[in-house]
Amino acid sequence: MIRKRDGLAAAVFLLPYGILFLIFVLSPVLYGFWISLHKWHILDTKIPFVGLENYRNAVQDDLFVLSLVRTALFVALTVPLGNAISLLFAVGLNQNFRGTTFYKVAFYLPVVLSVTVLVVLWRWLYSTEYGLLNYYLGRLTPALGGTKWLNDPSYAMPALALMSIWWGAGGNMLIYLAALKSVPRELHEAAELDGALPLKRFWAVTLPIIKPALLFCFVISVIASSQVFGQTLMLTNGGPADSTLTVVLYMYRQGFGQYQLGYASAVAYLLFLVVFAFTLVQFRVLMPKKG
Amino acid sequence: MAMKPCKIKLLSLLAASVLSLGGCQQESKPDVWPDGTVVIEFWNGFSGPDGAAMEAIVRKFNKEHPKIQVRMQIIPWGTYYDKVTLGLAFGGAPDVFVLHANRFPEFASHNALSPIDSFAQNAGLRREAFVEKAWDAGIWKGTQYALPLDVHPLGLYYNKKLFTDAGIPGPPKTLEEFVDTAKRLTKDKDGDGKIDQWGFSFTWLHSNSYLFLNQFDTGLLTKDQKRSALASPQALQALDLMEEMIHKHKIAPTPEGNDAWMGFQTGKVAMALEGVYMKTGLDKQKDLDYAGVAVPQFGPKQAVWAGSHMMSMPRKLSPRRQEAAWTFIKYLSDNSLTWAEGGQIPVRKQLLESPEFRKMEVQFAMSKQIPYIEYEPASVSYNQVATYGDSAVEKCLNTNESCLEALKIADRRINTVLERE
Repeated sequence: MIRKRDGLAAAVFLLPYGILFLIFVLSPVLYGFWISLHKWHILDTKIPFVGLENYRNAVQDDLFVLSLVRTALFVALTVPLGNAISLLFAVGLNQNFRGTTFYKVAFYLPVVLSVTVLVVLWRWLYSTEYGLLNYYLGRLTPALGGTKWLNDPSYAMPALALMSIWWGAGGNMLIYLAALKSVPRELHEAAELDGALPLKRFWAVTLPIIKPALLFCFVISVIASSQVFGQTLMLTNGGPADSTLTVVLYMYRQGFGQYQLGYASAVAYLLFLVVFAFTLVQFRVLMPKKG
Repeated sequence: MAMKPCKIKLLSLLAASVLSLGGCQQESKPDVWPDGTVVIEFWNGFSGPDGAAMEAIVRKFNKEHPKIQVRMQIIPWGTYYDKVTLGLAFGGAPDVFVLHANRFPEFASHNALSPIDSFAQNAGLRREAFVEKAWDAGIWKGTQYALPLDVHPLGLYYNKKLFTDAGIPGPPKTLEEFVDTAKRLTKDKDGDGKIDQWGFSFTWLHSNSYLFLNQFDTGLLTKDQKRSALASPQALQALDLMEEMIHKHKIAPTPEGNDAWMGFQTGKVAMALEGVYMKTGLDKQKDLDYAGVAVPQFGPKQAVWAGSHMMSMPRKLSPRRQEAAWTFIKYLSDNSLTWAEGGQIPVRKQLLESPEFRKMEVQFAMSKQIPYIEYEPASVSYNQVATYGDSAVEKCLNTNESCLEALKIADRRINTVLERE
C-alpha cells in the first residue's frame, strides 16, 4: 500500500518536468525526424515526402563527411587533453595546502563565461599582429611571433580546441575533485605501507575508484564536443578553407542559411547516430565490470 | 566540458518554429485603423549611412501621405534574410521589404511574393524607362514580382594623393596600366623588409572574384544556369590572374586577415574595387582624398559586377494593404535620386540623365558602366551555390591549395546541388 503511494508521489513530482520534457525536448526531437523525411524548403507550402533521400544526399555530400572528420578532430583534441587537465587540477587541489579555494574558483571561472565573451577574449589573444599569444611567442622565438592562429587552416582547429579546453576544464575538475574525495584514505595508507610510490598509488588505487567519474566525464565531454557550434560560428565561421567546419555548423548553414529544413534535420539525426554509437563504445570500454 | 548542448537546442528551435505553423499564421493587425490610416511595415538591411538616407525618404513620405504610415525597421543584412524568410513562412512578414537581385529568384520561385505587373502598368511604369537589366531582374517566369530601386556596380576607388605623390596622372584603364600603377604604389617605406603601402588590395572577395570571372566571359554558372561554369578554362584564367596579383606581381596582400578596406581608408592601400555604396563611408574620412571611377578592363570582355535592391511585397496581403504598399514602393522609386545621394545609382533613366545626378561625382562616374553590368546568376539555388564559389576563391587566394583543384571541388559541389533541384 505504502509502495503504491510512493510511486504516485514520485509520479506527481516528476510530472512538471515530464510535461516540459515532452513538449520541449521529446516531441521536437521526434518531429525533427519526421521533418528529415521530407524535402522541405522553409518557404514551401507543398512538402513532398522523400523517405531517406536527405540521409542519402548527406552521406554523399563531401562537405558533410568533411565536417564529420573536422568534428572528430575537435573531439580528439579536446576530450583527452581537456579531461587530463581537469584531472590534474583536481589532483592538485585535493592536496592540503593553503589557498585551494582560491584556485578552485580561479580554475572554474571560465566555465561561467558565455561563448560570446569567450570568443571576443580569445580573438584578441589569437590576433596575428596584436595578440598577447604572438607577443610572448615572438619574444621566445621571433619566427613564431607571426603565427596566423585563426587564418591558417592548419592552426585554426588547434586554436579552437585550446580555447574550448580553457573554457570547459573547470567543470569536469569539480566532478573529479568530488570523486577524489570519495577515495578512502585507508587504501592509500595500506598501499603506502606496501611501498607503492605516489604515481603507482594513483594508478592502482585512485584510478579504479574514480572510474565511474571518468566514464561520466568522458561521455559528457564527447557529446558536448561533438556538438561544438558557438565557438566555430563566432571565432572562425568554419574557415579558413573549411578547416573548422563542424557538423552542427554545417547543419546550421543548411537549416538557416539555405533554409533546407529536411536536409538539416537529417544531418542532425546522422550526428546523433554517430555520437550514440560512440557513447556505446565508451560504455563498453570504461564501464566498471560487475562482480 | 561546459559546451552547450547545441544540437538539441537547435533541433528544438527548428521544430518549435515549425510547430508554430498553425499557431501564428498572420497576426491580426487591422488593415485600416479606425481613423482610416493604413500602417505599412517596411523592412530593410540599411544599417550603414544608407539607413539615414532611407529614413529621410520615409519621413517625407509619411508627411505627404497622412492616410498611410510607414514604419521602417532596419535589420542588419547578416540576420535580415533569416527574419524575412521566417516571417514569410510563419507569419509576421512586413508589407514591403527589400531583396537583393541575387536573392530574388529564391523567394519568387517559392511563391512568396506578390505579383506587381498590374500595379506597375497602372502607374505608367514601363521597362523602357528603367535600366532594362535591373527591371528584368524583378521578373520571374514572365511575371513581375519586384521593382528595382537602384543599381550598385563595383568601381575603382583610388587614393588621389598617393597617385600625385608617385607622379601618376590618372586611374588605370587596362590590365597593363593597372599592374604598372600598382607596382609603383607598392612600397616598403620604412625599409624593414615589410610592405607598408600596397598598390592594390582585394576587399570583398565575392564581388571582386565575380568581376574577374565576368571579364573573362564566364561566371559562377553557365549561361543557361543549369551547370557550374567554374571548371571552364576561363574561370581558371580569371582566378589565376587574381592570384598572380598577390604572388607574381606582388601588388596586393593575401586577403585573409587583412582589413583591406580599412587599409584604403587610412591610405595604406592605393586602389580597391568596391561598390558605389562604399562612397558615403569614405566621405566621412576627412583626410582622405579619393576618387571613384569605372573599373579597369582586366580580361577580354568589358563587364562589371553589380547588384540591385529590389522592392517587393509578400503574397498574403489584403487589397487595401497592397494598394498602400505599392504607393510606398512607387514613391521610393520616384524619389530614388535622394536615395542615390547615399551612394547608389538610380535605375530610372530620366533620373540618370538629370543634372542633379551628374553632380554626384562618384555615382555618375560609376554609372557609366551600366551598359555592361552583370548580375549574379538568377538561380533558385543561388544562395547555396554561391557559398561554394566563394569558398573556392578563398582557398585559391589564401592557401597553398591550387586554384584548379579548388575550382574543381566547387564545380562538383555546385553541380550536385543543381542536379538535386
